[in-house]
Amino acid sequence: MSEQSVYTLPVLPLKNAVLFPYLLMPLSAGRPGSIAAVEAALASESKEIAVFAQRDADVDIPAQNDLYGIGVKAVIRKMTRAEGGHLELLVLGMERVTLVRLDNSEPFLKARVTPLPLPEDKSSEIEALQGALVDLAGEALSLAQPNAAPELRGLLATNEDPLRLAFVLASMFSLDAEKAQSLLEAPSRLEALRILHKYLTHELQVLELRNKIATEARSEMSKEQREYMLRQQMRAIQQELGEKGGEQAEVEQLRERLEKAELPEEILKEATRELGRLEKLPPGAPDYNVIRTYLDYVLELPWKKGTEESLDIARARQVLDEDHFGLKDVKERILEHLGVLKLNPNAKAPILCFVGAPGVGKTSLGQSIARALNRKFERMSLGGLHDEAELRGHRRTYIGAMPGRVLQAMRRAGANNPVLMLDEVDKLGRDFRGDPAAALLEILDPEQNKTFRDNYLDLPFDLSKVLFVTTANALDTIPGPLLDRMELLRLAGYSEEEKLEIAKRYLIPKQLKETGLTPERCSIPDATVKRIISRYTREAGVRQLERAIGRVARKVALRFAEGQPEACSVNPDDLIEMFGPEPFNQEEARRELPPGVATGLAWTETGGDVLYIEATLLPDGKGLTLTGQLGEVMQESAKAAQSYIWSHAASFDIDPALFKNAGVHVHVPAGAIPKDGPSAGVTMATALSSLYSKLPARSDIAMTGEITLTGLVLPIGGVKEKVLAARRAGLRTVILPKGNQKDLRDLPEDVRNEMKFLFAERIEDVLRTAIPQLADRMDLAKMQPIDHAA
Amino acid sequence: MLAGGEAPWQPSADVYRTRDGWLLKFDLAGVRLEDVTVSVRGRRVSVSGVRRDSMVEEGCSYYSMEISYNRFERFIDMPADLENARVTLQARDGLLLVRMITEGNEYV
Repeated sequence: MSEQSVYTLPVLPLKNAVLFPYLLMPLSAGRPGSIAAVEAALASESKEIAVFAQRDADVDIPAQNDLYGIGVKAVIRKMTRAEGGHLELLVLGMERVTLVRLDNSEPFLKARVTPLPLPEDKSSEIEALQGALVDLAGEALSLAQPNAAPELRGLLATNEDPLRLAFVLASMFSLDAEKAQSLLEAPSRLEALRILHKYLTHELQVLELRNKIATEARSEMSKEQREYMLRQQMRAIQQELGEKGGEQAEVEQLRERLEKAELPEEILKEATRELGRLEKLPPGAPDYNVIRTYLDYVLELPWKKGTEESLDIARARQVLDEDHFGLKDVKERILEHLGVLKLNPNAKAPILCFVGAPGVGKTSLGQSIARALNRKFERMSLGGLHDEAELRGHRRTYIGAMPGRVLQAMRRAGANNPVLMLDEVDKLGRDFRGDPAAALLEILDPEQNKTFRDNYLDLPFDLSKVLFVTTANALDTIPGPLLDRMELLRLAGYSEEEKLEIAKRYLIPKQLKETGLTPERCSIPDATVKRIISRYTREAGVRQLERAIGRVARKVALRFAEGQPEACSVNPDDLIEMFGPEPFNQEEARRELPPGVATGLAWTETGGDVLYIEATLLPDGKGLTLTGQLGEVMQESAKAAQSYIWSHAASFDIDPALFKNAGVHVHVPAGAIPKDGPSAGVTMATALSSLYSKLPARSDIAMTGEITLTGLVLPIGGVKEKVLAARRAGLRTVILPKGNQKDLRDLPEDVRNEMKFLFAERIEDVLRTAIPQLADRMDLAKMQPIDHAA
Repeated sequence: MLAGGEAPWQPSADVYRTRDGWLLKFDLAGVRLEDVTVSVRGRRVSVSGVRRDSMVEEGCSYYSMEISYNRFERFIDMPADLENARVTLQARDGLLLVRMITEGNEYV
């Protein structure tokens, strides 16, 4: 190979491949031109052929421009014919040549080529690059072909010629044609090595990425396992760093809290056992959170913690008086209990039950007790509660189990001796899930609630220090056993005077403050409040009154907001303008009563009411018709009244034929309101007597009382409300059963002084007073003189 | 494809121990003696040359080819320094025989 020699060789154009010197390469020749070129080369002694890569693989018969300018002179080492006329070649690259001129005059391409040896350069940079390349290639090989890597690496290390190394690596990593060509064309060894280094670096990154993706895909399949591994590693790292792992820290924290918390021994033992279980569980276990929440709960409950109790009776009295007007009896009863607690701190706390109409202050009284005693106050409403589990909790085995409301309240209170108010105990429901009232039995029994077991907690909790206060509007829906456990305190309705006082002391200042008015700017005189009480509200409590006052205050506030400068006073006559016509005035007593009508008194949940009982004869009719939504008890008392009159017709000078020949219809308006109870018996009897004797009853007397078949008048309840209702209606005389004489103590003094009370033992006493003309007819010698109460 | 990286092809060789030295036998049929160069440097004997396809005739073409042509080179490392050995070449029956005759006790 002389320098600058030029020779002519057949040309084998390559598609998508580059042949390097020193390297063997299998090739396939299929194009007629290529086959001819190969055959021409084989026909020569030397079997030499020039191999040039094509710039564009789509060209079948390339011209000079379609071939790269630098190629390789090669020797064909082996040739076989494959099916389809293809030639399979094994070609050995010899040396780099430049294409001088391409000759396509023959069936195959021929080229004049001249050798293009690389300058013999040697520098430290080449050595460094060579070393780096070997390392890079080793790394890439261990990623691409981990099994063959060691042998291949050995091979690379023995390759001393850098150029040869570059070509070997290039074929190993199958460079694409363009890059391979640029490597082939490199003007120096240094440049060749650089090209390869750049490529290998990139290739290595690709390989690493591919490897990573493959690894990730693999680990995706066992994600859980991976998570576990990671968690283990994290734990190890945290340990190494001196930090405790998340759940480990949690357990430690719980343990610390457990040590600090003052727990009874039994509870501590159980909690420690649960903590031990928690420690052994992996944090992913479903039980983990259950136990954790449970322990949290145990730790938060006030097992031994209580608030310091103040048993200063004088202060308690002051607090109760401050918060509530009137209610003397109730306050006295509360103070009695406090006195007992002071003398005997271990006495069982009473379970008070405040019974009264809405708005009479039951709930706020509970708050006052807590304040007076310096205890925490917690309130839970039992209205509509129909699931026993609400009170006692669900067992921990249920998903989402929670402790019952009682323990939740205890946790909120943070003390084991709060005042716990159970509101609306009369409105407990019951269904197939159990009877919450039955659960209350245990909770409210001082004998049992020392070791109250909540289903969730399953540990005995001491409720005996809790002062339970329940409230109810009515007693008839409270189950007997439950009622039996409670100390009843009745909060009767307020009288007008009491309401006025409450309005002046609490409601007006409160409402003025809420609307941003001052007493100087807006004054509501007593007369106005009285008008509101009597004409615009009808209730035992003061809720409607408060709302009405609030409305007045807002109307006044609006006037100020609209720019009215001077202070104003709300007169009673202004109310019509503010509220419209008075809604309640039908309570006014009827002036004249026709025969067959009597004035009764009723107790309702909203206080008392005046009730007119009307009776009329039905000529040729039969029996007794009762209308007006009367309950069974009331119907029966009507029958009893009729029977009594019938059986004593002679003594009342009534024609017995009336009973036989005519029916009676008794109606009690208002017809839409359900009524029940025995207390209208006396009134029924009066109405019937008046009807049969055709003598009118007095319209200024109201009466109440149960009647028996023998004419006895039995005591009834709700005396205060009934008397107040009578007074509201302008009736000043009330006939009461003798047995109710004691109840007058409940009445405010001014009411007692204003009203006239007559106490009856027998129905004759009532009739004599209520129907004066009938008295004349009666020839009863045993008529009792009527007592006059002071 | 992986290449060993040898540019010229390598003929196979047998090495014999003879009474007066060494005999190297190369599988080099079709190679003219004048196309072969043998050189000895220390213990390394190198045989290189060219195999020309002298049988090519006008009008014939290859159907297949397995014999390597063109440049060949083969190095053989001998157990002893043979720089001073007398080298003779002989072609017999398609084999190239290289005799290396050593003087005296140069072999063990």
